[in-house]
Amino acid sequence: MWNVVMTAFNWLIDAGATVMLPVIITIIGLIFGLKLTKAFKSGLTLGIGFAGIRLILDYMTSNIGPAAKAMVENIGVELDVLDVGWGSIAAVTWSSPIIAILIFGILATNIIMLIFKWTDTLDVDIWNYHHMAIVGIMVHYITGNVFLGISASIVMAMTTFKIADWSQPMIEKFFGIPGVSLPTVSATSSLLIAWPLNWLLDRIPGVNKINFSLKDTQKYLGFFGDQMIMGLILGSAIGALAGYDLTAILQLGVSMSAVLVLIPKMTSMFMEGLMPISGAAQKWSQKKFKNRKLFIGLDAAVVVGNQDVITTALIIIPLTIALAVILPGNRMLPFADLAIIPFRVALVVALTKGNLFKNLIIGLATTTALLYAGSITAPALTAIAENVGIDIAIAGGALLISSFAATSLTHSFLVFLAFTGNLFVTMPIMVVVIAVSWYYFEVIKPRQQERNAANVKDDAGDVTIEQSN
Amino acid sequence: MKRVLVACGNGIATSTVVASKIRDYAEEQGVSLSTNQCKLMEVPGKADDYDLIVTTGQFDGSIGTPIVRALSLLTGIGQEETLEEIVGYLK
Repeated sequence: MWNVVMTAFNWLIDAGATVMLPVIITIIGLIFGLKLTKAFKSGLTLGIGFAGIRLILDYMTSNIGPAAKAMVENIGVELDVLDVGWGSIAAVTWSSPIIAILIFGILATNIIMLIFKWTDTLDVDIWNYHHMAIVGIMVHYITGNVFLGISASIVMAMTTFKIADWSQPMIEKFFGIPGVSLPTVSATSSLLIAWPLNWLLDRIPGVNKINFSLKDTQKYLGFFGDQMIMGLILGSAIGALAGYDLTAILQLGVSMSAVLVLIPKMTSMFMEGLMPISGAAQKWSQKKFKNRKLFIGLDAAVVVGNQDVITTALIIIPLTIALAVILPGNRMLPFADLAIIPFRVALVVALTKGNLFKNLIIGLATTTALLYAGSITAPALTAIAENVGIDIAIAGGALLISSFAATSLTHSFLVFLAFTGNLFVTMPIMVVVIAVSWYYFEVIKPRQQERNAANVKDDAGDVTIEQSN
Repeated sequence: MKRVLVACGNGIATSTVVASKIRDYAEEQGVSLSTNQCKLMEVPGKADDYDLIVTTGQFDGSIGTPIVRALSLLTGIGQEETLEEIVGYLK
């Protein structure tokens, strides 16, 4: 019996992601109680999305790959890790042979934590599970141990739900959306840098008084938010730096514009396919926990429209490109994920209550961390992409892929390091860090707030106290 | 046929959910419409071509087209009212 299962499983893996994805998603759909036809259509939609992503990645790497290489020779910047965007990495994640186990592991973690009241965040946004799943897939790839891979994803899930809990009051206050928390790793991860850095900035005399605002940022930098135009500019710039002639520069510009517009179209196929499954999970869980007041976990997309977030992001985007060139040891060429910088800064903005000075400092620290972690983990990520049938290697030189998602995110990177290092050293450190953070946010901080609230009552005019809570 | 632009942070995730709920509801109500999705940042450039903008989050830009905020279609709380409001604009 076991042999039959293993033979079938190996056949599926050999058949490749376009075949495996529909089969796996159909099975997941059936477990969630979808009808066979609906589950199968979901699966097929994901398979189509994957095929689409693969086509575009081929097109992208064969166009920009030689240009990036020529740019390296021409001006001597060593940027050989191409940022192919979070959508491409999500496609690789969903195509992993162990994805089904990871998804149920993450869901079970949420339900168990809810039952024991360890979290108030109900996260059935299955779509965003890919951020937690990819860490497990990377750990599995490096260590060859499925158990470690699953554990890594579960640790990602636990910590993500907690960070969502802890950041919920801030989100409610700043963005004005009650009853919602954001367990979206791509947004919450920045808080790991922002919390300590914001604390530090608040304690540097002089610096803690700085704030400024920039008028008309959106008018002058707005094109950085427009996929089409940004692709054209970046593609043309890379072509020019590569020493191409005008025709070739324009050709590269238009094809990169095409890539930036088409990747999201393909990625939305994944979302469409997963929607019935997410819907079924939401219905089920809201019925199960209907007597409890929970925060509904949503995609951070619901907060990035804020004007302060957009302004900060539009300034950070060009600075990120500059950082990529300046930072010694960085190998990542920022490209497709420049479009989602708003997600990386959204919660920073909420934390600083829109202080643009602090937003820029913390935002740059965050993208610096992204670039380095993205460069370091690119080889493993590229190998995993190749395992699911995305051929990155281009004629004449190896190109690696990465993104501003996956293990480039500080949170994911730290968990990845913890599970791939010397476990006897890293595991105790990880447990202590989580325990200390937990103690701070659930015991110390509420006490401080109580004290502050009492103080504010005594002296309603004292501004510093109000600010510190 | 009325045209609805659904916008969210990246034009992919939450806007797909909202767009498909709007389409299903409109079909039930016998209202014919087409939906398109985009990023919130792209709304000002595209708004003029549409009859209604639906956003999943905060959007404070000034545009001439009516806007409905549809967070409720994601959380499921107050969903019916929001769908009625949306279709109300399109009759």
